[in-house]
Amino acid sequence: MSADAVRFSEERLAEIETLVKRYPGPQSALMPVLYMAQEDFGYLSMDTQKMIAGVLGLRLMQVREVVTFYTMFREQPCGTHLLEVCTNAGCMLNGAYELAEHMCKTLGIKMGETTPDGLFTIAEVECAGACGGAPVVQVNNIYHEKATPDSMDALITHVRAQAGGKA
Amino acid sequence: MTSLFINNQEVEVTPGTSILEACREHGHDVPYFCYHPELSVAANCRMCLVEVEGWGKPAASCCTPVSEGMKVKTQSASLAKDREMVMEYLLIHHPLDCPVCDQGGSCKLQDYTVEHGASKGRYAEPKRAVVNYELGPFVNTCMTRCIHCTRCVRFADEVAGTGDIGILNRSDHMSIAGIVEEALESELSGNLPDICPVGALLDKPSHDVSRPWEMSHHKSTCTQCPNGCDISIESRGDEVMRIRPIDGSPEPWICDRGRYVYDAFRSDNRILKPTVRRDGALEEATWDEAFEQVSALLKGKRVGILFSPDWSIEGQMAIRLMRDALFPAARVAYGLHRRDMRSFAFEEGFSMTTAQIEAADQVVVLGSDLRQRLPLLMQRLRKRSRAGKPVSRIGAMNYRTNMDISSDALVRPRDWAAVIARAMEQISQVGKTAAGFDSWMAAVPERHEAGKVLADALLADSCALLVGEEIRAHEDAAALIHGLDLLMRACGHAESGNDGRNLIPEGMNRQVLSATHGDVRVSAGDLFAAASAGDLDALILIGSDPVGDGLFPSAAKAALARVPLVQIGSLSGEMAQFAAVQLPAAAYSEVAGTFVNMEGRIRVASNPIKSLGQERPLWKVMMRMIQVMGADVPVVNLDELRAVVANRLPELAGAWGAAAADTVLIKPRRNRDVSYTPVARSDSFELDVVSRYSMYREGMWARASDLLSEAGRIHALDDVLVHPQTLEAKGMTAGEHRVRTFLGEATYHIGLREDVSPGVLFVGKRGVAGDLSDVSGASIVGGASE
Amino acid sequence: MTISSDPKQVKQICFDNINVPDMNKLAVAREHGAYAFLPTVLKEFDSAKIIDEVKTSGLRGRGGAGFPTGLKWSFVPRNTGKPTYLLCNADEGEPGTFKDRDIMRFDPHLLIEGMIMAGFALNVHDAYIYIRGEFLHEANVMNEAIAEAYAANLLGENILGSGYSMHLTVHRGAGAYICGEETALIESLEGKPGRPRFKPPFPAVEGFYGCPTVVNNVETLATVPAILEFGGQWHASIGVPNNTGCKIFSVSGHVNKPGNYEVPMGTSLKTLIEEYCGGLQHGTVPKVIIPGGSSTPWLTAEHYDTPLTYDALMKAGSFLGSGAIIVMDETADLVALTHRLAHFYAHESCGQCTPCREGTGWLERIMDRVEHGKGNAKDVAVLKDAATHMAGRTICALAEGAAAPVLSLLKFFPEDVKTRLAEKSS
Ligand SMILES: Cc1cc2nc3c(=O)[nH]c(=O)nc-3n(C[C@H](O)[C@H](O)[C@H](O)COP(=O)(O)O)c2cc1C
Ligand code: SF4
Ligand code: FES
Repeated sequence: MSADAVRFSEERLAEIETLVKRYPGPQSALMPVLYMAQEDFGYLSMDTQKMIAGVLGLRLMQVREVVTFYTMFREQPCGTHLLEVCTNAGCMLNGAYELAEHMCKTLGIKMGETTPDGLFTIAEVECAGACGGAPVVQVNNIYHEKATPDSMDALITHVRAQAGGKA
Repeated sequence: MTSLFINNQEVEVTPGTSILEACREHGHDVPYFCYHPELSVAANCRMCLVEVEGWGKPAASCCTPVSEGMKVKTQSASLAKDREMVMEYLLIHHPLDCPVCDQGGSCKLQDYTVEHGASKGRYAEPKRAVVNYELGPFVNTCMTRCIHCTRCVRFADEVAGTGDIGILNRSDHMSIAGIVEEALESELSGNLPDICPVGALLDKPSHDVSRPWEMSHHKSTCTQCPNGCDISIESRGDEVMRIRPIDGSPEPWICDRGRYVYDAFRSDNRILKPTVRRDGALEEATWDEAFEQVSALLKGKRVGILFSPDWSIEGQMAIRLMRDALFPAARVAYGLHRRDMRSFAFEEGFSMTTAQIEAADQVVVLGSDLRQRLPLLMQRLRKRSRAGKPVSRIGAMNYRTNMDISSDALVRPRDWAAVIARAMEQISQVGKTAAGFDSWMAAVPERHEAGKVLADALLADSCALLVGEEIRAHEDAAALIHGLDLLMRACGHAESGNDGRNLIPEGMNRQVLSATHGDVRVSAGDLFAAASAGDLDALILIGSDPVGDGLFPSAAKAALARVPLVQIGSLSGEMAQFAAVQLPAAAYSEVAGTFVNMEGRIRVASNPIKSLGQERPLWKVMMRMIQVMGADVPVVNLDELRAVVANRLPELAGAWGAAAADTVLIKPRRNRDVSYTPVARSDSFELDVVSRYSMYREGMWARASDLLSEAGRIHALDDVLVHPQTLEAKGMTAGEHRVRTFLGEATYHIGLREDVSPGVLFVGKRGVAGDLSDVSGASIVGGASE
Repeated sequence: MTISSDPKQVKQICFDNINVPDMNKLAVAREHGAYAFLPTVLKEFDSAKIIDEVKTSGLRGRGGAGFPTGLKWSFVPRNTGKPTYLLCNADEGEPGTFKDRDIMRFDPHLLIEGMIMAGFALNVHDAYIYIRGEFLHEANVMNEAIAEAYAANLLGENILGSGYSMHLTVHRGAGAYICGEETALIESLEGKPGRPRFKPPFPAVEGFYGCPTVVNNVETLATVPAILEFGGQWHASIGVPNNTGCKIFSVSGHVNKPGNYEVPMGTSLKTLIEEYCGGLQHGTVPKVIIPGGSSTPWLTAEHYDTPLTYDALMKAGSFLGSGAIIVMDETADLVALTHRLAHFYAHESCGQCTPCREGTGWLERIMDRVEHGKGNAKDVAVLKDAATHMAGRTICALAEGAAAPVLSLLKFFPEDVKTRLAEKSS
């Protein structure tokens, strides 16, 4: 597949053009543009990264360095529902590992994996900055605080039901 | 000045100096990995810790500036423990495979382990795995050995300007990497193994062939471009194993051309014995047999002499002596890239040093692919641009520079006069002028907007003009250079002490050649024309290949079809097929000799490597030739020969004294009395032809080098290129097309490239494109003939 | 901004209106006094006066280092010919910290107002909020509030006709704790990996794109409106000398009511935990208190009465840091916790400094073995050596933070380690 295959829409390109103006230099727009690409294309393939380098006038290496440094940029596709369980101190002290184990069991996969139906990816993450609500699970970046095995099971069941309904 | 105490010794350094540099300046040893005097400070290895009195923690000396009265200690028990720990951290993932590593013996990690390391590492966990990557034809990677000092990353960014080496990931997964499917494109890539303090980046060509301690080192001068870098030729016996820059030179780098050309020294292309053509084939002969043949061919004949500018000054002087003794009427050509032989207002060579160019307010590059032509000057320009100083450029192609050009304009060679006239107009408007401005402007009917780029830069307090091959090889070069000279005078950039006029020479020693051969010089083209017209009986070619290089390949072939050729030199090349006799002359690595670079800087090589075969220094070959052909031998040793040189060029008199060598600067010749106005070109070709200079393919040495030839294949462009509009206007697309020149019609594959100026036919691969190298105008006349 | 009707009675500065429903809407915020004092500042104050007031207030940076804010602002060189930038540090990555999030999601206009005032004082025309990537909701709330502020001419060109212009942009990080370190934040905002820069040069002189730059924490900036409205003296009168004002403490771990509590500086740990946080989940006295975020050295039961001030906590051997208090009762497995924190720092090290890159990974791997009963007698000494020689020998303080839990564990609970070793030391 060539880099030409991945393209931002005209609206996106217009959005990027305004975005770039908010910074002293175009490279500052790289992270927001990576988020856009991730939203539009699901993950950041090498072709997407090349395309972005072209759009912002950066070298591919400048894009690669940023994509690989930050954990929230993904070079691989993941499930439609990304479940991120915080297991850092505050959450650990309030049962995060037990919760994570329970969720893996419900999902039938190991930590870091994606369910075969592509609905869920589960990952362990660092402190989410919400220790007052420990344990915390982010679902596609929506915080679920004081999560319990039951509340997570309910969420998983709900998502599965919805997906089943559509199919 | 700031004064401080290092280990109780009071020292003074320039304010803002780092502690590490202060220590280095004053001989206090501080270990380091990531620091490099030519690169920005990264301060990541943390090996350079020192103690500063009153500070709670040890300080990284490379990134801590000195302050008045500071008390620094470079040795203490606690520093020793810190250094031991840094070594331990660094070694936990290191493979410890010194016995099989090429770096062994010149590895900082190995040295420091002995000096600062603990006797035994305590790391008991698994070591990380790391992937290798592609860094071009000259660099091997073994990334498990990497210590993440980021020197290579900074080198790629700051010196090479490619930025293709980066830091991926973070934490201890962090890795130094290139772009996986793209090899690094840098003409300076061979420096990477040098700057890597460990064995992660290694020289590919010398991989596994020898160990650092087996080499002998010979200080010499690289003659592969007019920059004339100081080099150290490392040999084992008589075999050159590698070429490296010399520590403490003005530039710590050398380019890949100068570094990897060494395999040509022992290539099959070398002329290592005299040969004589018998029954159509060149056969080995004795020196006596060969000279007999030379004598038979040349005695009493009308000869033309063509030689390469790369020979040492002594060799060139000997050529002159040979000419004067044997062929006092002979015409001499040196160089292959000049059509207009009128005197130039400023002749080839630099008025400025590269350091002055780096520091100038403005730099304008006119018609030069500087990155290929003078890679180390290009690197200087990148350095200045990183410091925020502008570089402007006008030329037939947006040659890749790996830097941001501040103002840029594309022009066809035929537009140069209009560009200069436009600049003159703008300069006049602000009240600056020079005698001759008006008549020069009046001779040019058009104005070209690119002249604004030039004029804007000229208005600065100091401006370095770098005039390149597009102008030097122009048919009306003398007029253009006169115009530029007027501009420089008008703007005050032509005075001694502030002279910004630099004409990029074709090769080394150019300033000296004006003095030693200027009076008998003709263009190589004239020489070939004379031979073809029956006005010459023979040609003597000394280290030059006019079929492979230069502007006159077809003319050279025609001439050589008519008259016999005596070939003298180190390399056979394509010329061998024409030679009646070959005499071997020693290569630049094999002689004691003197060289002058484009700045006029003198270098004397005095420690040559051993010859491989029967080749002798050129001056001895010349003297022998004089003797054999019955004239008086003018000099019998190098000192006498040098005395003759000094006679012609008094500046050089002191050059062979002890310390003077590095400081003598020979200025290029100025011809104040010339005055030429441009003339309109008469032919009717729609496109101007410009050919590319490729550092990997130009010159006999480069073509004889497999290493450079391989790199040349990687860096190749299409044979012939035009701007897309050029074909569009004719309703054509890229592909095979017939091209008409004054030599006739031929079919070429024509590719498209945005960065070629409209109206230009760009010859990307000289030689392959044959006849196109000879012409300056061409028309595309139609699709391929069926 | 107005503090409860009588400033003398103030208990909360940043959180004064935190529970007001819809406080993130401009109209509601205005009803509660947001931007009321701003015109006066823009009209009657000048840079020197603002910086003076902030100096007088004794406000110290709430991001972790506790550096006096007024002093930091006064370091910014004037008339350099370059723009000055104001960057709000909303990266909030220090494990245990979650206070900035509440300011941003519940009272975003307070932060905006603080930034306008700070920006005005420093002659800033472009300001940025660098918010951690995970705070998507908070970034959205901030962006909506900023849009409303632009519409009301509180941001943008010629704010409220004062002639002062400032633009404010929210910039999301993407999962890198190190980007909370101010120079890493700057690198990140320049579109690069967040690798800290060595100092000098300090950001105040050469920061964002080489220009003078001030980086302040969300809470620091949110305190500015009250200081200007009620005066530096007023702020200085709260708390104790050299530790003035209120501070938000994010309390988590084994307490019954974890959460954010804004209390006057000088309140004791014990008071905070017992009176505000509903005490411990098990037992009466905590086993370990990490007082300023996971990077700060541990305190134990003997420090339970320590007042929460920069000075007192330092005296006790730790730091107030970001005010993130992680409380552990007797049920905590300290070896497991230390291993978990070692994993965190190994994961978050930017990788550039040798001791941090290699040391954090090394500590993690040893702690992993020790936690799982595979440790040996030599491990204690190696842990100690490897941790000690990371701290204070690197570009930024992450390495020091990484060493802190390991060194604290070894210092206070050596037995917890020894009993886990497979091969006991002699
Ligand atoms: C590893 C590391 C992480 C940090 N993380 C944060 C952070 O998340 N938020 C923050 O405000 N300051 C953080 N800081 C402190 C900042 O470097 C800086 O001191 C602070 O933003 C200055 O703002 P203040 O003066 O208002 O406190 C961190 C420092 C270090 C060394
Ligand atoms: S201490 Fe660690 S996180 Fe900080 S700069 Fe050095 S390597 Fe990066
Ligand atoms: S030389 Fe100073 S940290 Fe590497």
